[in-house]
Amino acid sequence: MPATSRTYWLTTPCRLRRQDDSIRVERDGHPPTFLPIEDVRDIIAAAEVDLNTSMMSLLNKHRIQIHILGYYGDYAGSFLPAETAVSGTVALNQMRLASDDEHALPIARALIDNAAFNIRWVIDRKLLTRSYGVLKESIAEATTREQLMAAEGNFRRSAWEVLDTRLPDWLQLDGRSRRPPRNAGNAVISYINGILYARILSALRLTPLHTGIAFLHATMQRHRHSLALDLAEVFKPLFAERILIRLANRRQLKPQHFDINTNQAMLSESGRKLIVQTVRDDLAETVKHRTLGRNVSYDELIYLDALALTRTCLEGSTYTPFRVWW
Amino acid sequence: MITADDVGGVHVKYLYHCPRQLWLYARGFRPEHLNDAVQLGTAVHELSYSRFSPVDLGAATLDHLDNQLWVHEIKHSAKRREADHAQARHYCHQLVRIGVDVQGAVLHYRNPRKTERFPYTDDEHQKATEDIDRVLDIVAHAESPPRLGRTSCRGCSYLDYCWSQ
Repeated sequence: MPATSRTYWLTTPCRLRRQDDSIRVERDGHPPTFLPIEDVRDIIAAAEVDLNTSMMSLLNKHRIQIHILGYYGDYAGSFLPAETAVSGTVALNQMRLASDDEHALPIARALIDNAAFNIRWVIDRKLLTRSYGVLKESIAEATTREQLMAAEGNFRRSAWEVLDTRLPDWLQLDGRSRRPPRNAGNAVISYINGILYARILSALRLTPLHTGIAFLHATMQRHRHSLALDLAEVFKPLFAERILIRLANRRQLKPQHFDINTNQAMLSESGRKLIVQTVRDDLAETVKHRTLGRNVSYDELIYLDALALTRTCLEGSTYTPFRVWW
Repeated sequence: MITADDVGGVHVKYLYHCPRQLWLYARGFRPEHLNDAVQLGTAVHELSYSRFSPVDLGAATLDHLDNQLWVHEIKHSAKRREADHAQARHYCHQLVRIGVDVQGAVLHYRNPRKTERFPYTDDEHQKATEDIDRVLDIVAHAESPPRLGRTSCRGCSYLDYCWSQ
């Protein structure tokens, strides 16, 4: 990924206009700011944003994607530039691999195994040892994607129970709930997962992979980019659960960061800002890569994982999904 | 797969640089627009040599063809590479094939402001034909060629792809 460009996060309502070859950002009560187009890799709009056609064509020309998060912090959609990284060979092979269980199941199994490994690394190695053993056994026996997903679900449930022991009462998940999240802890996890989904989609769009063809998630189940859901499995714990634990331990999350009603919870404006900033800083965090021999950001790890999957589709190499190594 | 008519300058350049790169490129995987060096090169290209007008040959685009029928190619690196020569030779070959009686190729090294001339001789023609056959041969392989040594990969846009595991 080009180091010269970056992701822009919009956290206050604004209007984006085109002025020559720059983006002009207009906010109420502020003088306009300008973003040089070469500096933008993608935009994540976590607040209301106004766009027009000339803006869209500028974004398209420079292959910039814009991801939109809805009122509840859920992923609401993206503007994706016209497909440019197309490779028929990759798409064909990807389809061949995904539609044949003999090839798809090992990939799905590796995704679940490494996701569980990462969850265990984030939450608690000791308390999750047994559940991880059980998971390993059941995914080895599983012969369908549904069985794999079920095994993963069981592991996740025990992981969330352990997670609750590390959180203060008011942030405990009490079982995962989405659309809408029922309590504060769930609201944080949902929100981070939404952002992550958008990031993964961005990375996938830089490779010739087809985002609709997945190895673990059923390809036609939802009108979503299923492949992004696949990759999200291994990256979610690195961000969602980890950030929740950290913010709770540091007492950075306060009740005023949430709007809580009887049966649902969402982040307030200040809560969203806190989470977006934390995620953004975490994405920029770097770690020394073992084979590339240089520092790569967490954000780049997502792209490298997408490249590894491309390699599997193009050359038939074994795909090892991201697994925390540090 | 591709035929002899589809072989472009980049194919020939990659043939000399790294067969694996050629193999991947021919399969439509082209991450080069993500490479900082390539982005810089494109920007510099747009700003320099404004008197040149590119000629589109379908599979390839050459930087300039002058009135004496010399093919001009701009190189941003100071380093003389066999790949650059081969690329220019390939353009001459393509022009000859469509009936243009080219004199040869001129490589412009932008940084030291030097040029090098390669008249298009029978020997050159022979080499250009061989290059095309070699490109087709490598691309037709089902298996990808191995990576080069790590140090040769520096600056390559496929580095992350080839070496991230």
